[in-house]
Amino acid sequence: MQLTSKQSIASALALASCSLLSQQVSAADSAESGAVNDDWKVDAAIMYYGEQDRVQAAEAIGNVQKAFGDSSLLDMKIVVDSLTGASASGAVAQSESQTFTRPSGDGQYTVATGDTPLDDTFHDTRVQLSANWQEVINQDWTGNIGVYGSKEFDYLSMGINGGLERSFNKNNTTLSLSGAFTNDVVDPVGGRPVAMSEMVFRGDYGNDADYQAAFDQTRLAGDDTKQTSDIMFGVTQIINRNWLMQANYGLSSVSGYMTDPYKILSEVDINGKTQAYRYENRPDSRLKHSVFLLTKGALDSGVVDFSYRYSTDDWDIQSQTLETHYRYYFSPSMYGQLHLRYYQQQAAEFYQPFLMSGDAIPEYASADYRIGDMTAYTIGLKFGQRLSGGHELSYRLEYYQQNPENNGTEIPGQLQNYDLFPAVKAIIAQVSYSF
Amino acid sequence: MSLQPRPWGFLGSFNAMASPCELLMAVNDEHIARQMLNLAYDEAKRIEHKFSRFIEGNMVWQLNHAQGETTPIDAETLHLLTFAQQCFQLSEAAFDISACPLMALWRFDGSHRVPSQTDIDDALHHVGFAHIELTDTTVFMPAGMSVDFGGIGKEYAVDRTAQLLAQRWPKTSVLVNFGGDIACPISKDDGWQVGIENPQKLDNAAALLTIRQGALATSGHTRRYIEIAGKRYGHIINPNNGYPVEQAPLSVTVLAPNCVMAGMLATMSMLKGPDAEAFLQQQGVDFKVFR
Repeated sequence: MQLTSKQSIASALALASCSLLSQQVSAADSAESGAVNDDWKVDAAIMYYGEQDRVQAAEAIGNVQKAFGDSSLLDMKIVVDSLTGASASGAVAQSESQTFTRPSGDGQYTVATGDTPLDDTFHDTRVQLSANWQEVINQDWTGNIGVYGSKEFDYLSMGINGGLERSFNKNNTTLSLSGAFTNDVVDPVGGRPVAMSEMVFRGDYGNDADYQAAFDQTRLAGDDTKQTSDIMFGVTQIINRNWLMQANYGLSSVSGYMTDPYKILSEVDINGKTQAYRYENRPDSRLKHSVFLLTKGALDSGVVDFSYRYSTDDWDIQSQTLETHYRYYFSPSMYGQLHLRYYQQQAAEFYQPFLMSGDAIPEYASADYRIGDMTAYTIGLKFGQRLSGGHELSYRLEYYQQNPENNGTEIPGQLQNYDLFPAVKAIIAQVSYSF
Repeated sequence: MSLQPRPWGFLGSFNAMASPCELLMAVNDEHIARQMLNLAYDEAKRIEHKFSRFIEGNMVWQLNHAQGETTPIDAETLHLLTFAQQCFQLSEAAFDISACPLMALWRFDGSHRVPSQTDIDDALHHVGFAHIELTDTTVFMPAGMSVDFGGIGKEYAVDRTAQLLAQRWPKTSVLVNFGGDIACPISKDDGWQVGIENPQKLDNAAALLTIRQGALATSGHTRRYIEIAGKRYGHIINPNNGYPVEQAPLSVTVLAPNCVMAGMLATMSMLKGPDAEAFLQQQGVDFKVFR
């Protein structure tokens, strides 16, 4: 008899506890809903990029994320940057000073004996806007679409992108497919140079009109466009509680104007003395394949990742990148992160540090070190600090060095006295604030 | 308050209600994890401030200092008192939140003293939920009586916090653990691993449970007891005779749909002394008893 009455305790308690809990949550919830409804996330950052004696860039980045429930996320970003300084024009150093016509055709600049010719015309402000919408369609599918636009003085870029993700295997495996299309309009200062045409100088002409007529002969009227189509296929696999692997394959096809209108090549004789400067020319199509592998792991008090990227294209540029980040939490509210990156690139088939006078003028040629043989590395440190109220402050300082290399070209005469492949050293500093 | 990234998400922790409190969140977004932790902290502190017997001027302090006057109460206090009343009745007066005067006599501070029978008899005069009168908006308690929500409050805070989290993030599994009282309202596919403390070897897990969804609570006198002349007196007092329950288990852990229910079944089984296991078997719940 007594056991029967005891037996009813569990169900009676279940009923009593349910009535206690159900009544309370709704009562207090209405009072609190206003206080905790905070789905906005804002990141703001200021970045400085400075190459030694060359390009300096200051950049302001603003990012706003807004979640709509658990299934939708809007991400908007604005970047404004200002670039000043000089970049390598592609011409080689000489044992006498060199004078160049500015890209606009108005005026000239002079480079001192032995110096790598830098074009100091470089000055631009760029505004970049992007928006992305992510939608969790159901338990297995996630989709996203986005738009992108950026504008600088001589360049306009507009793009759209989209992607789909599918989860399998209790979310342990994710397949993703994404694509993007970008249309760029290039409208260089002074017009687009005629491919491989020779630079003209005011000093060689009797009057402005003759000079201008000759200059115009080296220019094409109007702007030009470039279309980029990207497609990427990715697999992410969770290995165990601590590690995941990711593999991506990307295919990128570009067609249109890819020549850098501000880059030139020196044409030198067998003594290495410059006879003329020619405007570069690059093919109008490029097909690139890339493979990316990443593994990322959670440690007791940190996170580490390693990645490798291989890319190859029909310009014959092959590159490999090894990269790692290691984040260590000194305390729950403070972390330090080490970033190491090594990059190695093999030159494009039409890369030439200079032209030899007397040789036939090639259809495509560029002396831009950025498509030459090169290695580069980055060493970076970042510190992040969580502040009260969920705010976060972080600082990043990185050193970046590019080491261009000779692709096997024999160096004639006086050019042997100069470093034709000078290293480019840069510092990147960034302060970010999230709230 | 601290928030740390873990392979499965984030671990949040803070101290409230004299216990270490933890939140295990299966979420990758640190921003969301921080919001969850803030919500849990706010709710735990709110309940502590309102229902702790040791905070001057709060709801419970007003009740305990009414000296025979009728005290107005809000809805939440009424619901908790109503629940305590139901537990008092269901346990046939074995569970009584008004047993404070008896608790005060049995000091588990190492004084190794058994209270005198006179003191116990005096205290028993001021114990008994049956003397408390509840209306929808008021409480009447005879002068000299007092209540202590210690036996319910923490479990209630766990359930409340778990429910608030589940309402706001209905797809994210979170394990709420306030000093060993645990609730997990949203199912987690591979479950959360929860260790049950070995009462013979404190701070070591004697058993590992996998919880996908539900709650568990532990009652015991593993840390609060006195030993006099070889006899162990636990801190669970029988309010009917004023003495610690005899032959009670070292600890009882009960799994139930919510933490309040799990906690109450665990406490009631402790009060059953030697019959703890039999009582729990009758309830049809999963449990673990250490003796």
